[in-house]
Amino acid sequence: MLQKTLLTPTLIFLVGFLTVCPVVMLVVGSFSPGFGTFGQFTVAKYVAAYTDPGLAAMFWNTLFFTLGSAILATVLALFLAYLNTRTNLPWKFLFGIISIVPMMIPHILFAASWVLLLNPSNGILNRLAMELFGLESAPFNIYSLSGMILVEGLLDLPIAYLLIAPAMSAFDVSLEESSRVCGASNLRTLVRVTLPVLRPAILAAVILVVVRSLASFAVPSVIGMPGRIYVLASHIYRIVATGFAADYGQAAAVGMSALAASIGLICLYRYLTAAGEQFVTISSRGFKPAVISLKNWRYPLFAVVAALSLVLIVLPVLVLVYTSLTPYVMAPSARAFSLMSWRHWSQVLADPVSLLSLKNSIILGLAGATLGVMLSVFVAYVIVKVRTIGAGILESLTFLSFSFPGIVIGVGFMLFFVRTPLYGTLWALLIGYIATYLPYGVKPLSSAFIQIHSHLEESSRVCGAPPFRTLRRIVIPLLIPGMVSGWILMATMFVRELTLSVVLSRPGTEVLAVQILRFAEDGLWGRLSALGIIMIVISSTLVVVASVIGRKLTRMQIVG
Amino acid sequence: MDIRIRSVTKDFRSEGKRIRALDEVDLTIPANQIFTLLGPSGCGKTTLLRCIVGLETPDAGEIAIGSEIVWSRAKNIYLPPEQRGLGMVFQTYAIWPHMNVFDNVAYPLQNRKVSQEEIRSRVAKVLEFVQLEGFEKRPATDLSGGQQQRVALARALVAEPKVILFDEPLSNLDAKLREATRKELRRFLTELKITAVYVTHDRVEALTLSDQIAVMRAGRIIEIGDPKKIYFNPDHRFVADFIGRANLIPGRVRALDEARAVIASAVGEIVACNRQQLAVGAETMVCVRPEFIKIVATGAAPVRNAFRAKVESLVFVGEAYEGEIRIGKTLLTMTVEPTVRINEGDEIVVSFQPDHCFLLTP
Repeated sequence: MLQKTLLTPTLIFLVGFLTVCPVVMLVVGSFSPGFGTFGQFTVAKYVAAYTDPGLAAMFWNTLFFTLGSAILATVLALFLAYLNTRTNLPWKFLFGIISIVPMMIPHILFAASWVLLLNPSNGILNRLAMELFGLESAPFNIYSLSGMILVEGLLDLPIAYLLIAPAMSAFDVSLEESSRVCGASNLRTLVRVTLPVLRPAILAAVILVVVRSLASFAVPSVIGMPGRIYVLASHIYRIVATGFAADYGQAAAVGMSALAASIGLICLYRYLTAAGEQFVTISSRGFKPAVISLKNWRYPLFAVVAALSLVLIVLPVLVLVYTSLTPYVMAPSARAFSLMSWRHWSQVLADPVSLLSLKNSIILGLAGATLGVMLSVFVAYVIVKVRTIGAGILESLTFLSFSFPGIVIGVGFMLFFVRTPLYGTLWALLIGYIATYLPYGVKPLSSAFIQIHSHLEESSRVCGAPPFRTLRRIVIPLLIPGMVSGWILMATMFVRELTLSVVLSRPGTEVLAVQILRFAEDGLWGRLSALGIIMIVISSTLVVVASVIGRKLTRMQIVG
Repeated sequence: MDIRIRSVTKDFRSEGKRIRALDEVDLTIPANQIFTLLGPSGCGKTTLLRCIVGLETPDAGEIAIGSEIVWSRAKNIYLPPEQRGLGMVFQTYAIWPHMNVFDNVAYPLQNRKVSQEEIRSRVAKVLEFVQLEGFEKRPATDLSGGQQQRVALARALVAEPKVILFDEPLSNLDAKLREATRKELRRFLTELKITAVYVTHDRVEALTLSDQIAVMRAGRIIEIGDPKKIYFNPDHRFVADFIGRANLIPGRVRALDEARAVIASAVGEIVACNRQQLAVGAETMVCVRPEFIKIVATGAAPVRNAFRAKVESLVFVGEAYEGEIRIGKTLLTMTVEPTVRINEGDEIVVSFQPDHCFLLTP
C-alpha cells in the first residue's frame, strides 16, 4: 500500500521535471538578458527576435512547408490506404513495407539521399535526365521549397498512412452500399460518402503531419539551408549555432511561437481523434468490406505503388551505398564503377570524431532505451492500473512532450543544463532524449498493461504465489512484448536523434546524426554515406537483437 | 471446512461518496455444501467472496475458514490469499495466455513445492476429471470458452483445496453451453465433497446448483435457505420477486389455524400457508406464482381459492401461454398450458393452490 501511495507522486515529480522543466526554462530564458543571467526581466529578446526583417519570409516558408508536406503526405496516404483496404490490387504486402520501413531510415539520411539524387549541379537523377533528353540545365532543383515539401511529405507518409488506414478498414460498408443502391457510381460514392465520413481521420493526419514537419529539422537543415530557405526550426538553429555569439534568449523567444503552435495543434488533434471515434462507424459484423475490382486499372495502379516503394525505400539506400564507394558525386557510368573504392569508409573509420559519435550514439541508444523503458513501465502501470487523479495528471504530462518541437525543447534544456554540471556531458543528451521520446515507450507498455486483466494477477495469488512470484511468473512475462517494442522504438530513435542533439551536443559529446549533418554542411557526401550506412546497420541490428532476446526471455519464463 | 463470517463490514469510496458494500454480514457457510450467494449486481456478493479469498480486506469483522482465522480487525490478523489454500474460478477464467494448459494447471502445485513427478500425475488426473485429457500441450490462447472454463476449474481443484470459490463462472458462456456446463459443474462438485461458494446473479443457476442459497441486497444477507424454500416459501417480498415471477396481493389476516391462514384481500378471501404465525388483523402480502394459478373446468367439483376472472391478454411464449387476467380490479399473470382453449375476453374461473399461496413480510 505504501509503495502505491508513493509511486504516483514520485513519477509525477520525475516526468514533470522532464517535460515541464525545459518549457519553464524556455519561458524564463526568453525574458532574461543573457545566457547565464536570470533574474532581470526584459522583453528585449522578443523585440530583437520579432523585428528581424527576415522573419516574415521565414513564417511564410514555414506555413507553406508544413501545410504542403501535410497535404502531400495525406493525399498519398489516402490513395494507398484506399487501394490497400478496398481494392483487389495484387501484392498487398507492399503496403505493410511502405508503412513501416521508411521509419527505419533516419530522416537526415533520407534527406541527404534526395540531395544526392536531385541537386542542381551533380544530382544523379538530374544528370541522367539531362543526358537522356539533352537538356541544358538540371530539370529539378531540390534546394527549393517544393523540394523540401516533396522530401518531408514522403518522410511523413507512414504517419498519415497509419492514421488513415485503420479508419478506412473500420469503415461501415453499408454506408457505401446504400449510396450505391441510391444510384451513385463508385467514384461519386467515394467523393460524397466515403471521404466525408473519414474527415476526422483525414484532418487528424493533416494536423499530425503539420506538427511533425514543424518540428522536423533534417529536411530544413540538409535541403533548406543550402538553398537559403529558412523555416522555424532552421531559423532557431541559425540563432544558436551559427554566427559569433549564440543567443539562446532570442532563440527561446522565437521558439515560444513554435511551441504554442505545436501544443495548440496537438490539442486540436486530440479533440478531433476523440470526436472521430464517435463519428467513424465501426462495423462489428465481422465480414470484410466489399472489394472493388480495379479491372484494367489493376496493373497500372500497382506500378504506381511499386514505384512509390522504390522511391521510399530502395532508392535512398542504394544511393547511399553507391555514393560511399565513388570518389565524388557522379551519375552511374562505366567510369564511375571503375573508380569505386573503400576510400570514404577508411576515412570515416579513421576519423576520431566519427568514431566518438558512433560510440556515443550506441551508448545513448542502449542506456537511454533501457532507462526509458524502465521509467515507462512504472508510468504505464500508474496510468493504466492506478487510475487516480494523479494518474491522469501523469498521463497528460507524459504526452505533453509529444507536441514538443525537438529543437525548441533543446534550447529549453540547454538553458537548464548550462546551470548544472551536466552541461556538455552525455547525461544531458540522455535526459533530453528520454524526456522527448517518453511517449514512444509508454504507448506500447500501456497497451501491454491494458491486456493484463487484474484477474490474471489475482488468480496467481489465490494459487499460492506471493506478490513477488506473481510479478515474476505472470506480470513480467506478459509485459515482455511491450517492453521489447518500447525498447526498439526508443533505441532506434536515440541512435538517429538529430533535432535535440544539434543543440545539446558539445565537443566530446558528438552523436551520429550531428556528425552526418556536419558532413552534409561540408559537402563530404562520400563520408556521409559511409557513416549513414553504418547508422542504418546499427539500428537494424538493435531491432533484430532486441526481438530475439525478447522471444528468448518469454520462452525462458514459461519453462522456468 | 466451514466458513464463519462475523460482522464483516466494507466501504468503498467513489467520487467522494462512501458506498457500503458489506453491512455487518454474519454468515456461516457449512462444510461440504454448495453455497450460493445470489443477488442483483452491486449487492456485495462478489465483494464478500473476495473478502473470503483475501483479495479484498474488510473494514471490520472477522472471517474464519475451518479452525483458522484468516482476517480479524480486532486481533489484527490478515492472511494473504496465497496462504489461505483456496481454489477460485474467476469470471474471466484468468487463464494465463503465455502458458499452455499444463503450465496453467500445474501452477498451484509448483507454488507448493511439489515434486515434478507428482505434479505430472496430479495434473493428468485433474485434466481427466474435467474431461480435458491430452490438452496439456495446447496453448491457452487456443481454447474455446467452455474449455477455458474447465481449465480454470482444473487449476482451482488441482491442489485439492478444502474450499473452492466461484465468481459468476458461467456468465461468459453462451446460453446452450451455460446449461450444459451448469449440469456438469453440479456433477463435479457433488462427486468431490468440497465446500463450494458460488456467486451469481442468475436465479436458475442458483436454484439448480445449490444446496443452500443466501440472497443478498445492498450489502446485507436477507434470507438463507435451500432452493425449494427460497423458491416456494420465501419470507421476504424482495426474495419472492427476485427468484421468480410473482403475483403480490396485499391483504389482512382474518382467521388462523395451525397450517392455514385466511387473508381478506381485494380479490376476495384467500386461503394461504401459515408459516410466519402472524396475528389476526395483521397486514400482510399474499404471493402466488403464475404457474400455481389454474383454470377450473366448468362443471368441476368446487375447489378452494376459486375466483371469477376475465382474460385480458394472452401471449404465446413457446412452451405455454402467458395470460393476464383481471379479478375485480386486480391484474394478475398466470401461465396457461398451450392445450387449453381460451380466448382473450373470455370469462373463466381460476384457483390458487393453497399450498403455494404464501405470506410475505411487507
